[in-house]
Order: sequence, then structure tokens, then C-alpha cells
Amino acid sequence: MTELALLLQDGNGGATAVGIFHFFVGFFLILTIYSSFLGFTYWISKDE
Amino acid sequence: MPIGNLDVPVIGKNVVIAVLVQSHILFATFIIGAVLIAATSEYLGLVTKQSNYERFARNLARFVVLLFASGAALAITFVLALVTLFPVFFSVLQNVFFWVFLVEAFMFLGQIIIVYAWYNVWDKLAYRKSLHVVFGFIAGFLGLMAMTMIDAVASFMLTPAEVTSQADLVARSFLNQTMVPLNMHRFIGNFSYVGFLVAGWAGWRYLMTSREDDREYYDWMGHYGLIWGFGFLIMQPVIGYGYLKGIRESAPDSFNTIMLGDKSWVFNLLVIWIAVMSIASTAYFVHKLRFAIRPMETLRKLSVGALGFTALFTVLNIIPANANLIPQIGLVFGQGEATKIPLGSMYPWKYIGLIGLMLVGFFVIALYLRATATGFYWGRASRWSQFALMACAVTVVLTMVTMGYTRETARRVDNNPAYLINGCVKLDQSLVSEGCPTEPLTEGESK
Repeated sequence: MTELALLLQDGNGGATAVGIFHFFVGFFLILTIYSSFLGFTYWISKDE
Repeated sequence: MPIGNLDVPVIGKNVVIAVLVQSHILFATFIIGAVLIAATSEYLGLVTKQSNYERFARNLARFVVLLFASGAALAITFVLALVTLFPVFFSVLQNVFFWVFLVEAFMFLGQIIIVYAWYNVWDKLAYRKSLHVVFGFIAGFLGLMAMTMIDAVASFMLTPAEVTSQADLVARSFLNQTMVPLNMHRFIGNFSYVGFLVAGWAGWRYLMTSREDDREYYDWMGHYGLIWGFGFLIMQPVIGYGYLKGIRESAPDSFNTIMLGDKSWVFNLLVIWIAVMSIASTAYFVHKLRFAIRPMETLRKLSVGALGFTALFTVLNIIPANANLIPQIGLVFGQGEATKIPLGSMYPWKYIGLIGLMLVGFFVIALYLRATATGFYWGRASRWSQFALMACAVTVVLTMVTMGYTRETARRVDNNPAYLINGCVKLDQSLVSEGCPTEPLTEGESK
């Protein structure tokens, strides 16, 4: 837990390299899950 | 700790929760909004006898039924991740919100049952259409109630009320200071989000299809989706302002973090998305007025003027207050916070921008609805107008993700290491305040 706290801690609120990496990984994963689930749902429904 | 202190390699456990919740919200909001819009459309079809409404409602209902599993699976995965990665925090929430979670579970169950029944008896109730429409609205209502329950929890995390008795625990925690504005914000947002997505999807299908009847249908669908999307979007500045006012009054540090501090760039990002949606929507309306069955040149000229004002007001919202743009990545110019940018201050410029945007929005959609009453020639829209619809759909998803990030990052008031429940429980799940209703179940009776 201490490591996690240290990752997030930066006296002036500045981003660490790990923080920026996490931000973009999160963003990428959200859009990937969203678009793939939507695409799959369209794919299973389009022939009806 | 009940199950030990686990972490997730590479991405960390915060990102796991964020990804699961944000993905779930993108589906859950779609399902709630789509059920309500589909039920309304079915009702409009019943009243107007126009076949487009019925076709649209049925297709949307089918998509909701198929999509439900994805949204539900993400919700279950999220709860599992929360129990596993933040067990103390989850027990704190259960301690305060047991009944709320229980009610939410039953609302969710009811919504599933009614949504599936609604779609399944579409043909069976073809001659009892009013009854069938009621099914749709009940499903939408149950979805809204589930949303209301989780909004109580989400708003409590940002603005927890001080609890001094057992009676307070439920009432003041449920109706905490930002619960009602958050709920209103999301209620309106459901319609706007789904409207823009429907419009974007229609734009894509319009460009892809080669059949004339489909071109007419998808042209109509883009127009219909955008009325929902833009019509509800322009209500959001007032409701969003009420929400921010609630945060400022009850959690001023959080307000400062997201509005004035190092994270204020997220709000600049948000108004950029709003600018894209507003300008693209107004441009679409201007274009569409060319195809009104009864020529409306005056209305069209007025809407061109409205487009100019929309651009002006949105730009006013975007201008940052100072040159300390994104300090986290070193995007700072001049003297940083000391370098003020003209027209960038909140008062009066942002207020003028937001109020102006709303007024122009109401004006342009009133013009457009006036033209809609006389009808349009469908199937003649240009390619770029469909690209505008698709841009709105992409942007509304980015808006949702940005807003989710903004609300959650508001609890990083001191970033050491931020709060799970503002001022009460830290990100490392340690309890920091005696006055908070946050004693976990393992510590006995709550206050």
C-alpha cells in the first residue's frame, strides 16, 4: 500500500511517468471494452 | 484486513476500478436512456401513426436487450473487483448503504424482467399498444431508480454528511448535499448521451446504405437523435452549475481542485467537448433547414446567426483563466498562474459563455422544431452533415469519460494519497475522521 501511496504522491500534484501511463492505459481499455462490446452486440443482431 | 491487501501488477488497482466503472457507466447510461427514448418513440408512433417511430423504437429495444448482458457483466465484475481490492472501503459503504444497495439490486432485477417482457410481447400486444408503452416506461423508471440509488453512494463519496445519530445515517447519507443535483445531472444526461449516439449511428448507416428507403429512414433517425441529444444538452449548464455549487458549498477543497487548481484543465477539456457538440449540432440544423418542405429562408438565416453566436460563446468557455494550463506535464507558459489570460476568468466571462450557450441553444432548437412541424425532405442530407452527427457521437463518449474522471479526481484534494470518501477514508483505506459515518462492520456498531 505504501508503494501505491508513493506513486500517487507528488508534493505539487505533478504527474509521474507511471501516473501518465496509468491514465492512458485506463483510457485505452475503457474505449476498447466499450467499442468491442458494442461491436459484438451489433454483429450478433445484424442478420435479424 | 478481511482478504489481505492485494494489488494489480502493471496498471494498479485504481485503474482496474476506473476502467470497469467507466465502461459499465457507458452501457448503463445507454440502457436507461435508450429504454426511455424507445418507449417515448413507441408512444409517438402510436399517436402520430408514423412508421419511423415504431421501427426505431423496436430496433432500439432489441439492441438494449442484447446489450444488457454487457452492462450487467461489467457491473458484477466491478463489484467483485471492489470487494477484492478495497475490502475495508466496501464494508464501510455496506455499513452506511446496505438498504440502498438492496433496493438497487431489486430495481435492477425489476428492470431486467420488464425490459425483456417489453421486447418479447411486442407483437402480442400490438393491439394493446398503450399497455405495451407502459411496459417500456416502467422499465425506464426502474432503471432510473437503480441509478438514483447508486447516485446516493457516488455523491456521498464526494460530499459525505456528518452523521450524529442512527436516524441521520440513512437520511443524511442518502440525501447528502450533492445527491439531488447529481441525480438531475445524470437524468438529463441519459437522454442527451443516447440521443447523440443514435444520431451518430444513423449518420454512419446513412453513409453506408445504398437503398433509398433506408437512406430516408436513417436521415430521419439522425435528425431525431440529434433533437434528443442537443435538446437535453442545453439544459445541462444550469444543472451542472447547481451540482458544482453544491460541491463548492460542501466540499470547497474539491471544488478548488477541479475548478481552480492543477486539475482545472479537465474542465477546459470538458468545455472543448461541449463546444464540438454544440457547433456540430447547430451546423447540422442550419444544413437541414435547407430541406424543409415549406421553404423557411428567414428561419435559416436566423439559425446561421445562431451558429455564429454558438461559436462565440463556446470559445468564451474554452479560454483558460491563466497560463498554468496542464502543470502535470509541464504545459505552463509565462509566469504560470500569475499570467492571466484575457476573457479567461470565471466571472463574468464563463457565466456569459454558459448562459449565452443555453439561450442560443434554446433559440436554435425552437427554430428547428418549428421547421420540423412542417416536415423535411428525407434522404437528401449531405455527407458532411452526417460526419457532424458522428463527431457528436464520438465526442459525447469522450465527455462521459472526462466527466467521470473529473468527479473522481475531485477527491484528490491533497493527493496524499487522496480520499475514497472525502475527508473520511483515504485511498489506502485508512479512516481519518471521527465525525464521519465510516466505521466498518468489523468495528462494531455504527454511530
